[in-house]
Order: sequence, then C-alpha cells, then structure tokens
Amino acid sequence: MIDWLIKILMLASAAFMLLAAVGIVRLPDLLTRMHATTKAGALGVALMMLAVALHFADSVVSAKTLAVILFIFITAPIAAHVIGRAGYFTGLPLCEQTIKDELVDCYDEKSHRLLSGLETEEELEAYRQNLDMKPRIRTKAQRLE
Amino acid sequence: MIAFMWNLLLALIWVVLTGDLSGINLFAGLVLGYLVLGLMQRQVPILRGYTSRLPRLIRFFFFFIKELVMANLKVAFDIVTPIWHMQPGVIALPLEARTEMEITMVANLISLTPGTLSLDVSDDRRVLFIHAMFLDDEEALRASLKEMERRVLEILR
Amino acid sequence: MQLVIYLTFAILSLAMILVFVRLMIGPTLPDRVVALELLASIMVGMIGAYAIYTNRTGFLDVAIVMALTAFLAAVGFARFLERGGPRHD
Repeated sequence: MIDWLIKILMLASAAFMLLAAVGIVRLPDLLTRMHATTKAGALGVALMMLAVALHFADSVVSAKTLAVILFIFITAPIAAHVIGRAGYFTGLPLCEQTIKDELVDCYDEKSHRLLSGLETEEELEAYRQNLDMKPRIRTKAQRLE
Repeated sequence: MIAFMWNLLLALIWVVLTGDLSGINLFAGLVLGYLVLGLMQRQVPILRGYTSRLPRLIRFFFFFIKELVMANLKVAFDIVTPIWHMQPGVIALPLEARTEMEITMVANLISLTPGTLSLDVSDDRRVLFIHAMFLDDEEALRASLKEMERRVLEILR
Repeated sequence: MQLVIYLTFAILSLAMILVFVRLMIGPTLPDRVVALELLASIMVGMIGAYAIYTNRTGFLDVAIVMALTAFLAAVGFARFLERGGPRHD
C-alpha cells in the first residue's frame, strides 16, 4: 500500500518537473516562464520529499524532508518575485499575447516612484520635491518598441 | 504571535516538568498549553481570539491546497496543448493588508498560486502589482485574489 | 520499485536536458537565472530519488544545501541586475 503511494508520488513529482521544463522551453517571455517553473518545480520537490519521508519512515529523515519542503515553499515565491521584478524593471519586452500592463502607467518617470493612483495631492507634491529615488525602469517608448 | 510564544513556552515548561524530551510529549504540551490559553483568553486582552485561529488556519490550508492544484492543472493544460489559451498581463490590486508582515504573507501566497505572480508593491504600499497568466475573466480573478487576502488577514489579525 | 525509480530518473534527465536548452539559448540573463533555479530544483528531486534508490539517508543533507544555495544565487543575480549589470550577455 505504502509502496504504491511512494511510486505514485515519485512519478507525479517527475511529471511536474517535466512540465516545468517543457514550460520553460515553450513559453514566450520571462514572466510567463516563471509561472511554469517556480510553482511546478516547488510542487515537484515537495512530492519527491514526501516520497522519501514515506520510504524511510524515520523521525530524523521526516524532520529533514519537512525542512526541505518548508524551505522550498518559503523561498520559491521570494526568488520568483526578485527575478521577476529585476527582469521587468530592466526592460525585458513582454510577449505579444499580453493584453494589458497597468504597471507602466503607474511608474512616474520624473521622481522614479511607483504610484498607486490613490495618492492625495499633497503626497504627490512631496514626491515631486524629493527626487532622491534611483531610476529603475527604462522609458515607456523603449519598452513598447 | 505573542500568544503563540506563550503557547510554546507552556509546552516547554510541560516538557521540563515531565522530563521526557520527545516529539510526542512536546505535542502534548502544545495541546495542553492551547487549552489553558483558551480558558484564559477572556481575561487577558493580548490573548483574545487566539483559539479561534487554529480552525481558520486549518480551513485556509485546505482552501490553499485546492487552489494550488486547480490552478496548476490550468497552467499545465496550457503548456501541453499547442495553441496558447493564455492572455497574460499586469494588473494593479488594491491591498487591504497594511503592515509589512501582512503584505509579505499576501504577496508570497499570491506568488505561490500558479497563474499569478506578485511583481512589486507601490511606494505607499496601497497597491500590489500582479502578473497574471489568464486575464480572460479579470473580475473573477480579482474576486478570488481578494478572497485569498481576506482569509490570510483573518488568520494574522 | 526498481522500474519506477529508473523511469523517474529518465523523466528527470529529460527535464534537465530541456532546461539546459533554455540555459543555452537565453536570450537574456534573467532567463538563464530562471533556468538555473529550475535546474537546482530538478537536482534536489533527483537527489531524493537517488536516496530512495541507494537506501541511504545521507544524501538528504546534500539536498538541503542544494536548495539553500540555489535561492541565494537567484537573489544575488537579481540584485546584480537591479544595480545595472550587463543585460545582454
């Protein structure tokens, strides 16, 4: 019974990894590729570690596998966020299927602030006074080319 | 968070008093501490509502697993079939989370559900920018993200 | 059991080859970083399968270190990019 569960978990894990690999080759731009890799990869690792824990059925091994699973699920979204943000703000083009981009309009090119569109007039004025932020995006024209 | 620390402290005291340092005994200490805090929470303001969080956490766990599997299948289907069904785009989601901890939790959980990826938060921390893979039904997507945020805040607050 | 383990190894190897294709064709640095991260994830999975195959628990420590370093590398590359490194290598 447990044996079958381990087999199924291993094959499911391998299938998720393969899915992530196919996704990273096929998908058209960085951000959509990351959709495929981070989640499917993390899920694949988690399933494999579950299989390992079931196979050895030992408290020390279980603790170690639990540590790996926790670590993967904490770090995967953070890594995805930092790479996605760096890729976006260094001006990688989005793929042609993209239907809308609400971030470009919210980026103020003078003060280099990311606006929310909900600021009061005083806050906007304060932003215009303090031009201390570093630029983090190339101009809109360059992005759209 | 403080209430959980008290729970852990009570469990450690239980372990020391019984003199049995094993996982099962620590778990028993946690359960006993949870019950004690449940009895005390009416009198102590900082503990208020502590015991009602655990059922919410468990419910959220199953809700999250369901979302994870459903959305993963959707992305998987799109990767495997030759035609693209996806309509990716970046949307701005107004946040109800205020503190840094709340925003971090909400953004990370949104990143973990396939099909959505949190990109950045605006400088005044009122809007989260999310890259979504399926924007064909934007209202439904926004509603489900809001639902997720509400459940996270229910646990944290 | 043996057959399933061999099958797992085969699928994971195929996935590694596909990721390697993306690592080679790029076209930009962030794409390669994403590919490297996925490669590390697949490697952790493979180490898990190998631990089951050889029945030795020692390999799990390797898996933990692998997962740790992959995350650090991703964050490091992202900071490098935001500080303005070369984007088209």
